[in-house]
Amino acid sequence: MMPHVLTANRLSVGEVVYWSGSKGWVSRLNEAEILPDDKAEAALKGAAEWVEKREVVAPYLFEVRILGGTAVPVKTREAIRAAGPSVRRDLGKQAD
Amino acid sequence: MYRYDEFDAQLVRERAEQFRGQVARRLSGDLTEDEFKPLRLMNGLYLQLHSYMLRIAIPYGTLSARQVRKLAHIARVYDRGYGHFTTRQNLQLHWAQLPKVPDMLVELAEVEMHCMQTSGNCVRNITADHFAGAAADEIEDPRILSEIVRQWSTLHPEFSFLPRKFKIAVSGSAADRAAILVHDIGIQIVRNTHGEIGYRVTVGGGLGRSPFIGHEVGSFVAKTDILAFLEAVMRVYNESGRRDNIHKARIKILVHQIGPEEMRRRVEREFAEIRKSGTLELPEAEIARIAAYFAPPRFEELADESVELEAATRKNAGFADWLKTNVHAHKMPGYAIATVSLKRIGDTPGDCSSDQMDALADLMEEFGQAEIRVTHEQNLVLPHLRKRDLFALWQKLVPLGLASSNHGLVTDIICCPGLDYCDLANARSINIAQNIAQRFADLERQHNLGELKIKISGCINACGHHHVGHIGILGVDRKGVENYQILLGGSGAEDASLGEILGPGFDSEGIVDAVENVVGTYERLRQSGERFLDTYRRVGPTPFKDRLYAR
Repeated sequence: MMPHVLTANRLSVGEVVYWSGSKGWVSRLNEAEILPDDKAEAALKGAAEWVEKREVVAPYLFEVRILGGTAVPVKTREAIRAAGPSVRRDLGKQAD
Repeated sequence: MYRYDEFDAQLVRERAEQFRGQVARRLSGDLTEDEFKPLRLMNGLYLQLHSYMLRIAIPYGTLSARQVRKLAHIARVYDRGYGHFTTRQNLQLHWAQLPKVPDMLVELAEVEMHCMQTSGNCVRNITADHFAGAAADEIEDPRILSEIVRQWSTLHPEFSFLPRKFKIAVSGSAADRAAILVHDIGIQIVRNTHGEIGYRVTVGGGLGRSPFIGHEVGSFVAKTDILAFLEAVMRVYNESGRRDNIHKARIKILVHQIGPEEMRRRVEREFAEIRKSGTLELPEAEIARIAAYFAPPRFEELADESVELEAATRKNAGFADWLKTNVHAHKMPGYAIATVSLKRIGDTPGDCSSDQMDALADLMEEFGQAEIRVTHEQNLVLPHLRKRDLFALWQKLVPLGLASSNHGLVTDIICCPGLDYCDLANARSINIAQNIAQRFADLERQHNLGELKIKISGCINACGHHHVGHIGILGVDRKGVENYQILLGGSGAEDASLGEILGPGFDSEGIVDAVENVVGTYERLRQSGERFLDTYRRVGPTPFKDRLYAR
């Protein structure tokens, strides 16, 4: 099984965020905690607390591959969420 | 244009304040996401890939210069300086922030706009022919009925919890520029043998997972009866439409399952019942009151030929190209309609920046009776232009990047936001549109190919109308890789038809070659005067298939 990353959107501004463990919810995928299969579901359950606190909405897990120590999303959808629209490089996280 | 009365104005103002309260309760924790989601959707607010997306209703696609300036302002101040015009004649802002949305709604209300009817299982924003009130072939301005239907359907308590969303489109001409046959209800304004104007009503058209062409349920509904007739259709749907399966809940599935004959019988029965009470009879005076809002602007008496226009056409080849495709016949002598293409090669189809919107508002006031239309093909239309002003207008559109001479041609591609923005998408679509447009950028070749409508969707929900593209493209996710199916032979016009999948799909590069290939087959097989669609209909899929999949 592939490792996972836990993601959500910030409730107020809608921004894509990732669960980092120690630093809480972070903006960058490269700061996300890589969750091995046996920890992923527990992390997702833990996200309920942050939904309750109104920090984030719609948390879910997605699969990543580890390439050179970095998490790379398996699906294009998550690559686009992590960067921004592939047709507008001036927008989204890729532009920051 | 329609102007809000005190009730309309109060409604949209109060709606914005109501939503302010709902947002505050969500942010304070008084509402859970499950409780809040239907409330935000009722105001057109979705959570998408990167952020919240606000979908703004543009009833029957008509905007004033004041409204365009306000949209430019909202996009600039609250979003990222651009908006995306959709196939539903709406505008989407893709980077909204929840706490600021109530202010956006207040700003919209200031110019008689809102986000109602842009989501949820209600009657959605009423769409209409974008040439309304201007087309030479028009029987009656479809916006009159559209506005009546808008007022009847907005927050209609009986139709606020339908089995599924419900889309109504109105056309005022025999030529269908509003894709009425692929709507839940399509209304065509017709004239009977006595010269009276009435409505031909079709039901059960739609795209998405299960595409269907609508069936006629009323061949000539009298003007005063139209709301009773529509209500009859809605009641049959509300009572019998499926609620157990979201994929089978649209009225098209009901019509398909019981058959058009039975649908007609049920609608007739309900219609007779409603008529008995007489309460839904539309008073002539009310029709006249609404019609007055859409009275034509004051046209000058002009000769149809314009010396200035002819001189400019002779001198400037680029302008002549634009005239060929982007300028259309107006009902008044000396006037014309112009399509402002939002399909510049390499741009995102339907996107328009705040700066472009502001500049367009100026041009609307200078040349176009301060009015513009949004088309379901994701372009804009200036409906009332003096022919003698066309060259001056075109010269001002060129530096704005809004003068592409490609209306109806191979690069005038309809395209949904796809996986670059949309939470439902399985594949990107904008990049495919851009790459196809680049491939066919040569304008001489585009003009040589003639009318050729490519429509691209990034998922089966078909916001990009791929089923009714002469060439349709559907993006799917095949084992984690974007894959593109090609369909041929669709049409969303009065000769509506559904495209058929030609064969196995292609990757994102291969699909551009595939389009080139089928266009090449058309070039080889076409007879004089045939459009791509005509050739396809004459020869069928086999020659296209054989050449595309030849090893």
